[in-house]
Amino acid sequence: MGEPVEDVHQLDPLVFWEHARSFEFWFEAVQGYLEGSSFGRHPEVPESVREADERDRLVTVLCNYCVGETIALEGAGSLIRVAPSRPAKVFLSTQTVDEGRHLEVLVHRLLELGVSDPEAEIARRASPSLQEFRRLHGELVRGDDWDAALFAQNVILEEMEFAVFHRHAQLADPRTREVLLGIVKDERRHIGFGENELGRRLKRAPDLQRRLREVRAELDPLILRTFREAIAEIGGPAAEREDLSKSYLQAVTRLGVE
Amino acid sequence: MTPGDPLPKPAPGETPRRRFELDDRGFDEVPKKYRKFYRRLEGPGDVLGPNEVICPVCKVVVRSPRELRPGDRIYCMACMTRLRVLEAQGKLEAQPEY
Repeated sequence: MGEPVEDVHQLDPLVFWEHARSFEFWFEAVQGYLEGSSFGRHPEVPESVREADERDRLVTVLCNYCVGETIALEGAGSLIRVAPSRPAKVFLSTQTVDEGRHLEVLVHRLLELGVSDPEAEIARRASPSLQEFRRLHGELVRGDDWDAALFAQNVILEEMEFAVFHRHAQLADPRTREVLLGIVKDERRHIGFGENELGRRLKRAPDLQRRLREVRAELDPLILRTFREAIAEIGGPAAEREDLSKSYLQAVTRLGVE
Repeated sequence: MTPGDPLPKPAPGETPRRRFELDDRGFDEVPKKYRKFYRRLEGPGDVLGPNEVICPVCKVVVRSPRELRPGDRIYCMACMTRLRVLEAQGKLEAQPEY
């Protein structure tokens, strides 16, 4: 796949499917936006968060992002064992690396903001809704429930992160913005993997819809609550809080899990 | 190409498709060799070309070197989705094909 490409859309669908999920593809993709960065941003970007109140609100939001990334890190790594195909296992290995990087760059940002003990701060500021999501997602993962765990993680959690991080980046200070935009670039792959993997499985086993609707009913209110709180903390208008779930709702509609 | 998923052949009498020279628009989320096939949506004033469609999954603009028409198959490499082009309310859209 090293030769120049005349028209990517002429690729064989099976070649595309496997290539886009490969470690080789991932490596070349992340090189494009991470090369030259350190902890997810260019070192010369100045610190501009100076007010104590702004700093405190940002720390709360970042602590909750750290919880979300920890859920995804633990989930992606654990699900490799039960992933139903080699390309899915390889993709999850790349997602695991992405999630580990996200957690690391967010913790680094907390340290820059003066948080001396990030683990204690994350535990203190974590939203109860997100902690409950973590507990329930953990049960799905430990139960080897591939479809439900992937749905919870790569559709419910990642879709909401994708929307909220993107919006937060537009409102954030330059350092936080760059860190978040780098994460959003990774999230595109994660949401695409989740929707495509589940879309294929739903085509073969329509009964799965009922199971995923149950998971959705239990888990998505927890995530929606968490991210609405985050948007309020970063100063997004109330009307926007509903808009942020639009992309997620479109995804579940495409999957027939509305 | 696989027998089960052929690219649409031009119908007899079909108007020839316009061709487009794609340039690299700085979309750095895919390997360099694929960059010219994608770009970011640049706000509400951004008008899509006849060779462009938005990926409904990740909202990236997918670009083709030829004019797109309903029924075409295209790929979004940013989110690894195979898409089918369709026409809705006089505009080209895409939907995932799982």
